[in-house]
Amino acid sequence: MQIQDLPYPDPGVPDARSGPRLLWWLWRNQLGGQLKALAWGLLHFVAVSALPFCVGLAVQAVVDRSGERLALTGALMLLCGTAVAVGDTFLHRAAVTNWITAAARVQQLLARKAAELGSTLTRRVAAGEVVAVSTGDVEKIGWFVEAVSRFTAAALTVVLVCVGLLVYQPSLGAVVAAGLPVVALAVLPLLPRATRRADVQREKAGRATELASDTVAGLRVLRGIGGEELFLDRYRRASQEVRHAAVRSARMWSLISAVQVLLPGLLLIAVVWYGVQLARQGRITVGELVTVYSAVMVLSYPLQHFEEIAMSYSFSRPSATRTARVLSLRRPAAADAGGTDATAGGGLAEVPRGELHDPATGLVAPAGRLTAVVCGDPDAAGRLAERLGGHPTELGRSVLLGGTPLDELPLEVARTAVLVQDKDPVLLSGTLRELLDVPASGAVPADEALAAAQCEDVLDALVQGSLDAAEPMDARITERGRSLSGGQRQRLALARSLITDPEVLVLDEPTSAVDSHTEARIADGLRRLRSGRTTVVFTSSPLLLDRADQVVLVHEGEAVASGTHRELFDAEPRYRAVVTRETDDEGVLRDAFRELEEIEESA
Amino acid sequence: MIGVAPPAYDPAAPTTATTLPVGAASTVRAYVAELFRRHRRAFLLLITVNTVAVIASMVGPYLLGGLVQRVSDGTGELRLGLTVALFVLALVVQAGFVRQVRLRGAMLGERMLADLREDFLVRSVGLPPGVLERAGTGDLLSRITTDIDRLANAMREAVPQLAIGVVWALLLLGGLVVTAPPLAAAVLIAAPVLVVGCRWYFKRAPSAYRSEAAGYAAVAAALAETVDAGHTIEAHRLGARRIALSEQRIKAWTGWERYTLWLRSVLFPVINTVHVLVLGSVLMVGGVLVLHGWLGVGQLTTGALIAQMLVDPVNLILRWYDEVQVAQVSLARLVGVREIEPDAGDASVAPDGREVHAERVRFGYREGVDVLREVSLRVPPGTRLALVGPSGAGKSTLGRLLAGIYAPRDGRVTLGGAELSRMPAEHVRSHVALVNQEHHVFVGSLRDNLLLARTGATDAELWAALGAVDADGWARALDEGLDTEVGSGGSALTPAQAQQVALARLVLADPHTLVLDEATSLLDPRAARHLERSLARVLDGRTVVAIAHRLHTAHDADAIAVVESGRITELGSHDDLVAADGAYAALWRSWHG
Repeated sequence: MQIQDLPYPDPGVPDARSGPRLLWWLWRNQLGGQLKALAWGLLHFVAVSALPFCVGLAVQAVVDRSGERLALTGALMLLCGTAVAVGDTFLHRAAVTNWITAAARVQQLLARKAAELGSTLTRRVAAGEVVAVSTGDVEKIGWFVEAVSRFTAAALTVVLVCVGLLVYQPSLGAVVAAGLPVVALAVLPLLPRATRRADVQREKAGRATELASDTVAGLRVLRGIGGEELFLDRYRRASQEVRHAAVRSARMWSLISAVQVLLPGLLLIAVVWYGVQLARQGRITVGELVTVYSAVMVLSYPLQHFEEIAMSYSFSRPSATRTARVLSLRRPAAADAGGTDATAGGGLAEVPRGELHDPATGLVAPAGRLTAVVCGDPDAAGRLAERLGGHPTELGRSVLLGGTPLDELPLEVARTAVLVQDKDPVLLSGTLRELLDVPASGAVPADEALAAAQCEDVLDALVQGSLDAAEPMDARITERGRSLSGGQRQRLALARSLITDPEVLVLDEPTSAVDSHTEARIADGLRRLRSGRTTVVFTSSPLLLDRADQVVLVHEGEAVASGTHRELFDAEPRYRAVVTRETDDEGVLRDAFRELEEIEESA
Repeated sequence: MIGVAPPAYDPAAPTTATTLPVGAASTVRAYVAELFRRHRRAFLLLITVNTVAVIASMVGPYLLGGLVQRVSDGTGELRLGLTVALFVLALVVQAGFVRQVRLRGAMLGERMLADLREDFLVRSVGLPPGVLERAGTGDLLSRITTDIDRLANAMREAVPQLAIGVVWALLLLGGLVVTAPPLAAAVLIAAPVLVVGCRWYFKRAPSAYRSEAAGYAAVAAALAETVDAGHTIEAHRLGARRIALSEQRIKAWTGWERYTLWLRSVLFPVINTVHVLVLGSVLMVGGVLVLHGWLGVGQLTTGALIAQMLVDPVNLILRWYDEVQVAQVSLARLVGVREIEPDAGDASVAPDGREVHAERVRFGYREGVDVLREVSLRVPPGTRLALVGPSGAGKSTLGRLLAGIYAPRDGRVTLGGAELSRMPAEHVRSHVALVNQEHHVFVGSLRDNLLLARTGATDAELWAALGAVDADGWARALDEGLDTEVGSGGSALTPAQAQQVALARLVLADPHTLVLDEATSLLDPRAARHLERSLARVLDGRTVVAIAHRLHTAHDADAIAVVESGRITELGSHDDLVAADGAYAALWRSWHG
């Protein structure tokens, strides 16, 4: 797999039974790349290790006063140098390619898993975990998988050099071969403590960042009411804690550095001591002594890989375990009852038509009409709205559309037939054009939907806030539409749902954050645009209720009355109670005003 | 190999207008200079320990050179014992000082980083409320998370490591000059190759790495959004599109990875060539010199070993150089906040009385576009005024002017005769508070969340404030009372409790005038019943300007101002306006049936 061919057309089915199995699966699936890295790695490390021989040969040539051999050594160095450069470059290319392909594959798997889990994800603890895996764990997994071949090449080289030294100069070689394992493994016991301290530091840094962003997020409150110094002090304390933890962690790493200087150094001194004696006895040449010294110096480079592989494994194992857990998540069986192959199909089964009937509450929304539902309990309203879409998370009797139980249709078909816009619809980031480009019937153009949802001022605000979009459709919407007010977000979400133009549209409190002026106009627009289509609106706003063909009162899980707004208002005390109690937001403020009058009067 | 062009799409390019300034080059330079000055001692200490460590590391090659010379000369006295003892001593010194270098480097880096992030927050917290209202906190938030993160690496590692690398390389060259000056000259043969290669690389690398990092962040961001919007995505059948989007982002990211890989594919051979050139020229030039008797074998050995040691500092410098370049951009964004003038205000401007008065006020966010036109309004102390009107008519803007957050372009907004825009923000807020839908509960103890409104308050006063808004019941039931950790990560407060905390803060801050903007719009209707008394207690005795979305609110106010297209079109009590039979009356009828 080359980088330019990414993403994978099909990332495959991972072995997600455990972390190590996942690592193994990833490694196995890039065997070619691993072998390539191994081959280039061997060339590189061996060439690097050959340079000391050149140094030794050159010194010996000079000692022997041979200009010819010096020149020959120069040529040999050129060869080694070329091999080092080529090996290094291509090892790096192969290694990075392995890292990126592994990371990209896991990211693709995560994206597919997230799309498959859909609405079931947010209800589980897993939501945060998927994101954490994507931002933190993927890199570490890629690192370890990639490092395997590099480590193998380095380890083989170390063995080769030891064998070479043993052949070249047996007695000195024996000293080196005996000393090397100690040098390679000595720091390993220190690593767990060092990584633990690094973890503590990261955790404290995370806490400080959280405090900082929390302070900034609430900055308008602070500037409006006060208390800046209080929060600055708090942040300073957290920031200093990070510093102390970092220095504590650095103490451990600096100790490791010292050990990494000391041990190879001691080995070098042993080599020198023993080598000089051998040289004096004439058993080895001066050049050979320099070679061995230089070779031990250079060996520290492949030896670093022993430390790296140990570290990358200790980092990536928990990451791989977390990733495997996420990748093995499934939609709960209840949500899939009847619907086979939830994401694949689509368009295979006929979309049913007709009235929408919920046998559990007795709610009936006649085909082609605008039905408003009043429900005293907002939570129950939310659950009922979800159930109207079919495939709910809680099992129960299925909702019928034109007599067909929605739960028995494939998920894709059920979602095509009925669109449920929940209380908190999310605006996805991107341009307005991208936001409104949803699977749709095609019958409702974007400008009509935007006009019906009274979005003119939203379009103006978007153009103002974007960098170089003259046309509102090119304006960008930030994540979750955070740059827009609550009311503006609601209206854009409504426009998006109107464009989809489904057989049945269910809206849960679509205008709760919109002012009365605008709400009245939206109610007219909604009615006009949805004429002839089935629409169900959960609301308690008289402005919307008044414009519905039919209003149904749901009380304690049962549809108890239906009629027009005026009929119900006059005849049904329970309805009047809910509607005049104004479950809407500002009832509080109004009552506060009233309350205040009472307080003042009694005073 | 054919070159790779940088991808056309740059994920690091800004998509939304930057709302806060980015520091100019001179500001950044001045800040860096100040940072260096502040940490001069630590820098000197780092360079000193580094010097000792490097010099100690050269003792080995030097001693070996002497031994080689003596062995090859065949002269009697080797003094092997003494040499080995010196060797060991040098090694121990080197190990000890390498440890110090690493530690001092980290201490310096951490100190600078802590300074930087604390400085930034101090500046952010001092921003004028008007700037915050207009810019929002998003830009600030991304600076304090993303940019600080990017700088962390630079400060923690790159700056100290670069200092170490430069000193190290210079000392090794110095050692070479001391050992054998001609060998130092031989090293320079490789310099042009290095300079040309690095110039090519560093011209392209920093921005490419920035794009690559942004590209990778975009991959994670797409997934995070898919997860967050799971419900919406399933309802709108967007699953396949989200997968396609993720793959498109992966393609963009890997495109940049491929480009930076190409950049390194050029740099690596250059560096390797330089290393081999250095070693080769030292050996060849030195060898010829030895053959002519102008140099000893020992000097050659020492020189060759030192030349070999040059690999490490050169790699160190190259490794961290681009990180520092990337960090400059982040630094400019952080330092940019310093360029916003904190509005000082005139502390001698003090109100005499409580009447809020707007006189012929004009205001706009952009040049030439007025959101408010000639608005005049008088709010006598203790009255309750409701502002109603369609979205975008200027209600919220008017509210912010009355709360002293924005200064009018024309005309005046006064409190008790004193112009609000001339008073320091800290004074304004002791008189007027803007209450919006942000009921931010800060991460921290409940006590901290209340103390911010009156820093010196005693626990008894805090409890009294909680009691005043009927919040003492649940607060006393908390495990650790006022010390209970709330906010994200702590024990979660319900929206109603969060609202009560916000109200309790108002009780503590005790401003005589309140501007309520969508103050209750994000409230859970079921909790609303419990809150009306709390709110009523807070409003009691204060002047209230309420921006009303619902007509019932307006109905019960003392006066209603209908705002349309930046003007007040109707003003009067509910009954007056209904009798006048204008826009308000029409809406009231449609609402009330």
